[in-house]
Amino acid sequence: MFDIQEALKNIGPYVEEADDDLLVCRCEEVTKGEIRRAIHSGLLTIEELRRFLRCGMGLCQGQTCGSLTRRLVAKELHVPVTDIEVATSRSPMRPASMKTCGLDEKGGE
Amino acid sequence: MKIEHKELIVIGAGPAGLSAAIEAASRGIQVTVYDENARPGGQLFKQIHKFFGSKEHHAKIRGFKIGDELLKEAHEKGVEVVLNATVMGMFAQKEITVMINDEVHHVKGDAILVATGASENMVNFRGWTLPGVIGAGAAQTMMNLHHIKPGERVLMLGTGNVGLVVSFQLLQAGCEVVALVDAAKNIGGYGVHAAKLARTGIPFYLSHTIKEAEGDDHVTGVTIAEVDDHFQFIEGTEKHFDVDTICVAVGLSPMAQLLKMDGVGMKDTRGGYVPDCDETGATSIPGIFAAGDVTGIEEASSAMIEGRMSGYAIAEYLGYMTKEEKDAKEEELDQSLDALRQGMFAPKNRGKEITKTEEDILISTNLLKHGFVADDEISRFPGFVHKAAIHPVIECTQNIPCNPCQSACHKGCISIGENMTSLPISVKESTCINCGMCVASCPGQAIFLVEEHEDEDYGLITMPYEFLPLPEVGDLGHALGRSGKALCEAEITQVRAPKSYDHTALVTMKVPYHYIDLARFYKKGDE
Amino acid sequence: MKADVIIIGGGIVGSATAYYLAKRGVKDIIVLESSASIGHGASSRNGGGVRQSGRDVRELPVAMLAVQKFWPTLSEELGVNTEYTQEGNLRLGKTEAHMKKLNQLADNCKAMGLDVRMVDKQEAHTINPYLSDDVIGASFCPTDGHANPLTTTLGYYMKALEMGVHFYTHAKVKGLKKIKGKVSEVIMSDGEVLSAKTIILAAGYASRAIMNTIGLDIPMDDVIDGCIVTEMEPKMFSQMLGTAAADFYGHQTHHGSFVFGAVAGPEAYMDIPPETTNFAHPDTLGATCRAVEGYIPALARSKIVRSWTGWCDCTSDGVCVLGPVEEAPGLILACGFNGHGFGTAPAVAYMLAQMTCGEKPLLDLSALRYERFYD
Repeated sequence: MFDIQEALKNIGPYVEEADDDLLVCRCEEVTKGEIRRAIHSGLLTIEELRRFLRCGMGLCQGQTCGSLTRRLVAKELHVPVTDIEVATSRSPMRPASMKTCGLDEKGGE
Repeated sequence: MKIEHKELIVIGAGPAGLSAAIEAASRGIQVTVYDENARPGGQLFKQIHKFFGSKEHHAKIRGFKIGDELLKEAHEKGVEVVLNATVMGMFAQKEITVMINDEVHHVKGDAILVATGASENMVNFRGWTLPGVIGAGAAQTMMNLHHIKPGERVLMLGTGNVGLVVSFQLLQAGCEVVALVDAAKNIGGYGVHAAKLARTGIPFYLSHTIKEAEGDDHVTGVTIAEVDDHFQFIEGTEKHFDVDTICVAVGLSPMAQLLKMDGVGMKDTRGGYVPDCDETGATSIPGIFAAGDVTGIEEASSAMIEGRMSGYAIAEYLGYMTKEEKDAKEEELDQSLDALRQGMFAPKNRGKEITKTEEDILISTNLLKHGFVADDEISRFPGFVHKAAIHPVIECTQNIPCNPCQSACHKGCISIGENMTSLPISVKESTCINCGMCVASCPGQAIFLVEEHEDEDYGLITMPYEFLPLPEVGDLGHALGRSGKALCEAEITQVRAPKSYDHTALVTMKVPYHYIDLARFYKKGDE
Repeated sequence: MKADVIIIGGGIVGSATAYYLAKRGVKDIIVLESSASIGHGASSRNGGGVRQSGRDVRELPVAMLAVQKFWPTLSEELGVNTEYTQEGNLRLGKTEAHMKKLNQLADNCKAMGLDVRMVDKQEAHTINPYLSDDVIGASFCPTDGHANPLTTTLGYYMKALEMGVHFYTHAKVKGLKKIKGKVSEVIMSDGEVLSAKTIILAAGYASRAIMNTIGLDIPMDDVIDGCIVTEMEPKMFSQMLGTAAADFYGHQTHHGSFVFGAVAGPEAYMDIPPETTNFAHPDTLGATCRAVEGYIPALARSKIVRSWTGWCDCTSDGVCVLGPVEEAPGLILACGFNGHGFGTAPAVAYMLAQMTCGEKPLLDLSALRYERFYD
């Protein structure tokens, strides 16, 4: 069992940093400060951060910022990066138009 | 819903995917390779430099030529290679969806090999989203595939092999590289790659990183600063460069999303977040294999061997090979792979501080900090000798798995021995015939031919040269030292570029005798 | 470990109930979430509908209560943007048979006092100019709408956390235990025993196995459902859409992306363990795109950036189970939401808090009680 109140107590309160306005996710324009604040409000996993802030949910689906976010969360939680579960991968791997995706009954021609 | 069926689906036509496809097809398996790019070959087709390794690893052959060879072989073996084909999803029962020409196809395979390679990492400094900040791989694609110069003045962040190799290619493309910068304390890539940049005069800034990219709608400048042990900027150490391009080479991440999507067991390693697979690439799901960078970042040479191993394992899985046959092949390849995974930069040595070579020689710290072996360090290495008659001087000072120089010389002037990571020895007793093959074959461009005329107070230095236009006999200019500093006047006495040198020209310059141990590059004109 | 209230399930119902309990001054509240994240199940993976129309009459009062009393002020109350948008629900028809079905549904709702009216082709196209010419009419419920399930669920969670609720993730419950006739212990999979005066079971389909440990059962199945998400688009329309043929539903989010849900057919028969995070069916994406294109042709060029799959806890009679259980005092059930629990969650959670505190809930919930399966 992972005690969230305890974890929040251990990492201490959110303290503003000079580069909190740096962009982490450029597709959805999410800053380092927004992510750090959300972590200190109890969103301790990449999945929750994505759901709340949309970081990693844009056109590139986190290809660019995935590892940046992972490192940031690990640093904020004072744990090794490998403790932070990476986001779920979902199809399609590359953005594709609705028309294209819908043209799959012809598969195999 | 129509579903196409294939015996083996390979996702990614890079070195690993093609190598696996060739081995599988050789055993009679019907193979289809999908690649989302317009050209097959993966990273190989961007790699215009000569490869390290030994003959079995395609050493001294340029990457794109290896790609051509693989592709030719794949076609000969009947492998179907489908380009502009993006695999969008991977599902239960080995079904994939592939987007081809704006249509989605459903395809199932008896086996699937995922060889999707890696994507470039990014760092987010202030201004990182400005146009003009690009990945080193993207720069390589622009130059080597599309023949476009990424910019005029470039700063490179990252001194791993990618950063070093791409910086050299930027120079070859006619860009000015103003500096190489790395937050690490030591240069991460091969010393020989760094040295060929340093001697053109490019400064290295270790323990430095980018503070800010400047510009309104495009990069116009960059400020770097020194960082302390905790990677925090040290006040007052800022340095500014006017650049229009910032190239980022801060590592690669395996593109393992398809495997994760499919429910394959994953693990975290130093090489990245990768499928949990055995050496043949067999994952936790029977029939699904992975090979190449997607299983952990390494060189293309290793990816090709991994791909072949997977090819055999797949042949066994599909009943085209007995287990004994597969095991025998695997053992053979294991040795070849093992040979590549030796030396100072071996995966097992990542993160370790190495102070001495395998020969118990103190390594060059200047090489790690500044990109070149200091003039007072070079004489302790076995490639450095003095004699009047022409002889090779091999400035190869780190143990890396590479030995083409040894076989390039038929006169026994260069000796590495059985262990391919050993430092090459310049054998003083042997007689060099000035054929130049060693100079041209060294992927690190670390071999020079030196002729010492002490009585007449001059020396002739022959160096590898891969820039256009080539100097011409009679040209006057300056000899540069290992640091790129102009040392003395120099005259070009010979320029050779026969086909056998494979586009590495050999340029000979005449310098005063005093400079024969110091002069390692030539620059035309006054400065 | 002891608590006043233990809530099993860190979804929207669990998190919101914890919030309403804390707001009432209940001090010692534990929420147990078996996965790594809050809102892991259908709470995050749903189409965001805040809808009354088309509901079963047993559930409709709960949906109406949620829309009237909770949704309009929820963003302000939680301090997060729930993106609640009350611009109506259009249920589209393409054939006379569709229209007949829509009429019937509308009549059911009207009988319960909900404003649902039939609109002709012209009016439907005025409300939503992007509809295909094939749409010949629709039913329209102006007080329906949509919200963001992700920010709403996490909004409840963060607020409850701030108020001192103890949330545990990676907290797998093995079962319940009656002590002297009262359900008062929660047995964790690692053997740890927690006890509380009241235990609320809001663990979606996983509730079934947990209630089985004290001899209770609900005829319930886990059914897979999925959605597709487009890239950000300029604002096009703000209604929630559904169809008489039930071939897709969805809306445009405040962010600009569209979220559409549909199934190809075989999804419901997939054999996937519930703890799996990703188990899309290869046919869902294409089928959903074709369905959407059939109603909103202008979206054909819009790019899909991802698709996701979740599972619904579907009961045999199509509505949830809500309230205490006669044969298991101490336990309150809140599960079986059949894939449309998001919109009702605030009202459900509020009433769960009332019941926990021994109060009579705002609505008569007898039609949703556990015993209905065995009467």
